[in-house]
Formats: sequence, C-alpha cells, structure tokens
Amino acid sequence: MKKIFLHWGIISGITMFFIMITSVCTAETNLVTLPASPGVGFPILSLMVFSPLLGLLFACLLRNGHGERSAGVATLLSSFVTFALGIYLLLQFDLNHYGFQFVEQVPWIDIFGIQYYLGIDGISLVLVLVAILILPSALAATWSTKEKSWQFQVQTMLLQIGILGSFMALDAILFYTFFEIMLVPLYFMIGIWGGHNRIYATTKFFIYTVFGSLLLLASIIYTGILYHETFGVWSFSIIDWYDLPIPASTQMWLFAGFCLAFAIKAPMFPFHTWLPDAHYEAPTLGSVELAAMLLKLGPYGIIRFVIPLFPDAAHVYVPILIIFGLIGITYGGLVAMVQQKLKKLIAYSSVAHMGYIIIGVFVFNMQGLAGGLIQMINHALVTGALFLCVGMLYQRTKTQEIVDYGGVAHSMPIFACFFLFFSLASIGLPGLNGFVGELMIMLGAARMNIFYAIAAAFGVVIAAVYMLWMYQRVIFGPIKNDMVRNLKDLNLREQLVLIPLAVFTLVLGVYPQPFFDHVNTTLEGYLKQFNAEEFQQQHKFDLAAYWSLKQDK
Amino acid sequence: MLMLPELIVIAAGFIILLLDLFLAEEKKNILGTLAFAGLLIALGRTLFSFGQQGELFGGRFVVDSVAIWFKIIFLLAGMTTVALSWDRLTGKTTDIASRMKHRGEFYTILLFSTAGMMYLISSRDLVTLYISLELSTIPLFVLVAWDRDNPLCGEAGLKYVILGALSSAVLLYGLGILYGLSGSTDLATISQKITHSPALWLSVAMITAGIGFKLTLVPFHMWAADVYQGAPTPVTAHLSVASKAAGMAFIFLLFYRVLGGAFQEWNILFAVLATITMTLGNLVAIIQQNIKRFMAFSAISQAGYLIMGFLGPFPEGLPSMLFYLYAYIFTNLVVFAVIIFYANETGRENIDDYRGLSRTNPIIAGAMMLGLFSLAGIPPLSGFVGKFFLFSVASKAGFHWLVGVAAINSTISLYYYLRIVRQMYIEPTMEDATTLQISPMLAGTIAITTLGAVFFGIIPFFYETINQTVAASDWWSVITATAR
Repeated sequence: MKKIFLHWGIISGITMFFIMITSVCTAETNLVTLPASPGVGFPILSLMVFSPLLGLLFACLLRNGHGERSAGVATLLSSFVTFALGIYLLLQFDLNHYGFQFVEQVPWIDIFGIQYYLGIDGISLVLVLVAILILPSALAATWSTKEKSWQFQVQTMLLQIGILGSFMALDAILFYTFFEIMLVPLYFMIGIWGGHNRIYATTKFFIYTVFGSLLLLASIIYTGILYHETFGVWSFSIIDWYDLPIPASTQMWLFAGFCLAFAIKAPMFPFHTWLPDAHYEAPTLGSVELAAMLLKLGPYGIIRFVIPLFPDAAHVYVPILIIFGLIGITYGGLVAMVQQKLKKLIAYSSVAHMGYIIIGVFVFNMQGLAGGLIQMINHALVTGALFLCVGMLYQRTKTQEIVDYGGVAHSMPIFACFFLFFSLASIGLPGLNGFVGELMIMLGAARMNIFYAIAAAFGVVIAAVYMLWMYQRVIFGPIKNDMVRNLKDLNLREQLVLIPLAVFTLVLGVYPQPFFDHVNTTLEGYLKQFNAEEFQQQHKFDLAAYWSLKQDK
Repeated sequence: MLMLPELIVIAAGFIILLLDLFLAEEKKNILGTLAFAGLLIALGRTLFSFGQQGELFGGRFVVDSVAIWFKIIFLLAGMTTVALSWDRLTGKTTDIASRMKHRGEFYTILLFSTAGMMYLISSRDLVTLYISLELSTIPLFVLVAWDRDNPLCGEAGLKYVILGALSSAVLLYGLGILYGLSGSTDLATISQKITHSPALWLSVAMITAGIGFKLTLVPFHMWAADVYQGAPTPVTAHLSVASKAAGMAFIFLLFYRVLGGAFQEWNILFAVLATITMTLGNLVAIIQQNIKRFMAFSAISQAGYLIMGFLGPFPEGLPSMLFYLYAYIFTNLVVFAVIIFYANETGRENIDDYRGLSRTNPIIAGAMMLGLFSLAGIPPLSGFVGKFFLFSVASKAGFHWLVGVAAINSTISLYYYLRIVRQMYIEPTMEDATTLQISPMLAGTIAITTLGAVFFGIIPFFYETINQTVAASDWWSVITATAR
C-alpha cells in the first residue's frame, strides 16, 4: 500500500509542476490563436466548481470495505481533475480582455433577478489557480495522518466547492451562498478532528463569521432593493450593480455592512480574535485551507464588492482602514513574537500579512493593488507551506510547544532547509515572493502617504525577529531531547509536496512578470472604473510640498 | 365541488369514529391507513383544483389560489402527523412510555382539526371565521392532553385550554367591536365601512393578541414552552406547523382583507412584534436542555421572522410568507421526525442525549443537521431562501433596522442550533449507544421532508409558482382598492 501512495506522490508532484510551468510559459504564445470572444465551448467554470463532487461521491461510495485509503485516493484524484481543468482555463484565458471571461449565466430565482452567474477576470483567475494548487498539496501532505477518514475527505471536497464558487460567482446571492457553504465543512473539520479546545474554537469561528456574513446578506438585500427602485428591474449581478448610483449617505452604511463581513473574514485588526484559536485547534489541512484560501475571501470581497460599489464611502473610511491595517501589521507581529506554540505564531503572522494586503487594496493605485494581489498569492503559498511544515513536524512529535524543540536540524536536515526557505519567504527576503508583494505595497502606500510606507516597513523588521527567533529555537542549537534525536526526516512524498510550493515561491520572487501579465489588464480597467487616480490624489500626502511649505515659513 | 376536500376530510373523520367502535383491537391499523388516505385524497383534490376559483353560500365560503396553498399546508401537516404518530399508536416503539392509546379518537380529532383549518382560510365572514378557528383549536386542546397518565401532559393540556380560552375570548371581543363599527359580518363589507376610530384600534389590538396566541408572538407566547414539552411529540410537531399556519391564515384574512389599505399604519406594530418575538425566542432557546422546549422557543423565533412579510404591504409579501411557511414546515418536521424517532427508540428527550448520533445513525443525524441548518438559514437550504425573501420585504418597506436585528438574531439562532449539531457530531458517543432501528414510516417521513427542506431552496420555480398562482387571487386588488 505504501508504494501506491508513493507513486501517487511522485506522479502528482511531477505533473503539477510541469503543467504549471509549461502553462505559465506558453500562455503568452497562445494568445494569437484565441478567438475574439473569451470563453470555451463548454461550461468550464461550473465543471471546475463542481468537480470536487466527484471526489465526494467516490469517497462516500468507497467508505466501506476498501479501507480509508481509497477515499483518500478518490479525493486526491478529483482534486487533480480540478487542477487539470484549471490549467486548461489558464491556457484559454485572454490576457488582453478586460472584464469577465468564460461567463455562464442561468436564471435561478427569476422573480428577484437572481442568477447562477459565474465568470472570472484576472483577479479571480490567480486566486482560483492557487486554490487548486493548495488543495492537492494539502491532501498529499496529510496523507498518513489520522484525519483522512472518508468523512474528512467529504468535508474537504465541500470546502473546495465553496472556495472555488466564491471566487467565480458574479451574482451577489450566489456569492453569498458559496461564502456560507464553506463554513459548514470547516466547522466540522475543526470541531471533530481538531485539538483539545476545539469546540470553543470552532464555535467562536462559526459565530464570528456568520455574524459578519448575515450583515453582508442584509446589505446585499438593501443594495438589490436600491437597484430595483432605481432601475425598476431586479438584479443581484455585481456587474449590473457597478452602474448603480448610490447616495453617499447610504453608501456609508452599506460600506460598513459589507466591509465588516470581509474584515472579519480577512481578518483585519480588531476582528482577528477568532483566527488564532481556529488555526491552533484545526487539523493541518484545515489550517492550510483556512490560511491559504478562506482568508483571501476578505480582501477579494473588498476588491470585488466594497470599493467599486461604494467609492464615496471608501473615500471617508480609507484612512481608518489603512490605520487598522498598520496596527494589524505591528500588533500581529508583536504578538507573534511572544507565542509559545508554533501554529499560533504562524497564525499571528497571518494577521500581520493580511494587514499588508488591506493596505495594498486601499491605497487605490496600480502598485498597491497589484502588490496586494500578489501578496495574497504569496501568503497562500508561503503560509500554507509553513502550516504544512508545522503539520509534518507535529505529526512526528505531537507537540506544538516551541520549548520542546531544539536542534531539529541535526535529525531533519531536509526539513530544516524547506522550513528556512519558507520562513525567509514569509519575512520578505529579496529574491523570494514575499519581497515582491511587500515592496509593491509599500511603493503604492508611499505614493499616497510616505508615512504609511515607513510604518509598514517596520513590520518587516518585526517579521524577521519573530520568524528567525522561532526558527533558531526550533531548528538550531544542540539536540534538546530524545524526541528530537529520534525524528525521521521528510520522506519523498512530503518533499514532493513542498517542492512545487517552493518553486512557485522562488519563481514569483525572481520573475513575477507572468503573474502581472495575467492581472494587469483587469487591474487597469478596474482602477479606471472608479477614477482611482483622481481619488488617490485627494488623499495624497505630498511630503516634498509639505517640506517646502515649512521652509517657506 | 369546491368544498370537496373539506368534506372528504370530515367524512374520513366520521368513518374512523364509527369503525373504531366495531373493529377489534388488532385490526385497528386500518384506521391509520384510512386517515392517511382521506388526507391524501383531499390533498389530491386540492392540488387538482388549482386555477379554479369560486364561492359558495353567497360568498361566505371562497376558494382561491391563496386558500389552496394554505390548505395544502394543513393537509401536509395532517398527513405528516399521522405518519409521525404511527409507531406510537400502533405500539411498535421500543420505549414503552412513549406509546399512545385510543388511536381511533386520535385520528378523528386530528382530522376535525384539519378540516377546521381548511374552512378557516376559505371563510369570508366573521362568524364562519371564528367558528372554524374554534373547530381547529378545540381538538388541539384534546390532542395536547392525550397522554392522560402523564402529569406533564395533563398540565400542558390545562395550560393550553385556559390560555386558549382566554385568547379566544379576547379575539371574540375584537371581532365584536369590528361588527359594531361596521354593522356587518361580511369581510368585504366591513373593509368598505370601517373608518379610523379609537374603537378600531382597540379591536385591532385585541385581534392581534388573540392571534398572537396561536402564532406564539411575544408577549402572547407564555403557553408555548410548557405545552410543547408536555404534549406527545407528534402533537407538538402538529402544533408547531399546522397551528402556526392557521394563525397565519387568520391574520392574513383579517389584516389584508379587512383592514386592507389602512394596513400601513400597523407596520410599526408588526415590526416591533417581530423584533421582540425573535429576540426573546432566540435568547431563551440558548439555555434550554429539553429538546422539545428548545424547539418551542425556536418556533417562537421563527414566527418573528414570519410576520416580517406583513410589512409594507407589498405584492411580494404574501408569496414570501407562504414560501417561508412551506420551508418552515418541511424543515421543522425533519427535526421533529428525528426527535420522535430518537424518543421512540430510547425515550430520551434532552439535548445532551443526542451525543454521538452521527456515529450510530449517520444518515439520520445528517438529515437532522440539514434541518437545523435550514432553520438557521444556511444557504442554499430552503430556510435561507425563505429568509432572504422575508428580509427583502422588510427592507423594501424601509425597515432596515429590522433586517439588521433579524440578521443578528439569525446569528444567535445559529449558535443554539449548532449546540445540537455539536452533540451529534463532535461529542463522544454514549457508552451504551448502538445503531438504532428506524421504522419504515419514520424513515419515509424523514426522507421526504429532508428532500423538501433541501430542494425548495435550490429549485427556483417553487417560489415563482407560488407567486404566479397567488397573483390570480384578488387579495392584492382588495388592498389597493381600499387604500386611502
């Protein structure tokens, strides 16, 4: 049986790696032959969203008699199907087309104008690609843990449906549906397969998120009714909503309603308290999916809904939100520094990273937005990989306490290499992807107000402190105890899981251009849509002008 | 022919009553079949009469599409109650204490109550309205006190009958004032003649109080917890759906058909009632230990959401309420079916007793989970879609704060619905737990209601069918005609 999984790992790693690399390289050359109207002949997005059902079905069917492994094989296979469809999507994606591609539109609740409406642009595309890369990695990495019963696999597949659907939905109600569907499997993942204090963590996570999303629902309904009152027809399509003129006073409320939901999900600074608990108690796969994909829905929702729909309100709220982002960076970093447990440390580092993304999104310029987007990808890859590493360690030692470790490098040299690589990427070492994202966000922030950039830069220093200090305590030094001495190094499967993630981390750090090619057209169009440049000018704090003014006095 | 469904139900009731006298005890299984068949035939006849409209007795008895939708609810609730009580009445339960006796009378009384509800929604006259309300309520008093050896059950019956009589009296006073103001018992005539006066306000207040009792609106909800807990569980299930739907039918007739266009002035009343009902129901449900009491408070909070559809009024209001009512009865009956199944097999009714049900009976636990999530309004289940429609109506009427309150309340409700899910899925299994056998009757009920709870939300045309057919009725033109 071990051999089967070994082959699986090999095949999965190699195919994923090659397909991804070739597709990224060939994407541009393919452009010439593409038809004028973007899209393929079949509903590829629906197929992608619901392809995890395949794994779900087989996991249910194979639960008896074949052992639990076959359920795992089924879900892994189906995640490859999703992956293959995603690669096809990437190849067919029209880089020069601003707007949504592969659109599928079917009426759902026609009386209220609610549709089953899917489509992707550059922003969704990159997030979808990360989602389909992370899931097979996480499944393969947690292969031999206790969490692989068929029930767990079913939850995983449901979660993937929710994640993919949320990134593709163009109808507010459909988005909300997928947004909520995600919560249920995660509730069970943490609640059933979680750690010691799991019930508290899962309830807190669930209530917190649902509170936000119900206010989101109320705001969606209000916007829909506003649309009906203005144009006389019902529509919940986001694209239709972009044309809706909303009075500034109303925008303030709606902005708050929408933003709260996404700020909780992100999580932005004062609403982050559910995250460390949920991360700490969740099983490895749950932590990875939570960090890599679920948190991204916060900034994604802000980009997709909040800013384009309520630009006037954004105007008023932006300084506050950026300050919250800055507090998040500093506070998250400082709290991470004093954590005693590995997972909690990474969880708080997530809070800090999400602070960068929030700032990038809210500075309203190309650098900031592109930086925010690439930072979302970076955070998904790197934090996902860090959680996988910690999971691999935990699986061997069953302890999260940093003090229990020391000198792991002696017994697990390969692990130490990977862990160092991802830790450095998380800090933002030049040459790795974290640097690109943070640099661009700071560039964008500096264009608005130089002090934002300076404050954000301090976050990098704090990140270096807590990550390296943690690394030093866990990996370096003399071997602390027998537990560490007897550790076995990473096996081939675990290496094969981490290699693709490491490669992407490196590629995005050294040569991020393919990424920007995919999102640039979308982002340019996006920023034009609500006069971002003009907008940014109004918030701009010109240091040079300020300085000369002072000297004149 | 318009009254055929009602007549079938009543005839079935009388046949059962007579047969019960002559049949030997071991042959009495046929009574249940007969009751079910009677309701099923009536349901078929009702479904068949869609698109027909007409009146009897000089306009005192009217059948239109709204009436038909309500009648389907009553008949479905009746059929489900027959199915849910089947094992208890035939003595097939493992837990002996939960068996029920006197099945002939049980079915007769249930059918009479159902017939009363069906007459209620077709009435267009204060007298027939009141009489049919009593015909539906008085049998319920008897049903609640069915298990006469059980002191809790007796207490429940006594509380229900005393408070029920009180609310009936208050309601009757309200109707009397309405008659005094207009000099007529015909609803259409009253709606023409009434004018604003303090007496009208008094009358509306009394009617609201009387109906608030049936709908379990706060502050008229006091009876609900004790009665729900004490009554035999199939009766509790019936109370929570059919009785509530009957209250909705009554309030619909009086407020839409009589008060009609003047209705806007009572918007704030309904908004406040909805707010306190859902808030109190939700907050008290958190601390309940007995699952039937828990469901009582859950039902109270659901009533709070339900009456949000009265705000406006808008043409979307009634279809939204009807849709929610359908979603609610299906999801609520899923939960009650599982509660009855568990009580039948083990005799346990506490929330903690559901520990580890997902490991002994995974499919049943899954159905229960779907039902609870639908009650909490998790998409894409039907409860979510229903809530979406109701919230839309409230938002359209300008009550944005109420939508906010309802959203916060849904979060609270999710917390306590999750308590049961947690017991079933997360807590360790009980020491003596084994896989429980489920009877075919309950299995079928759970399967059908679960399918309803799931698919009403996903399949879009159900709401559209309601909307289109309801538009054929004259209810909206009555409101717009009398608007002033």
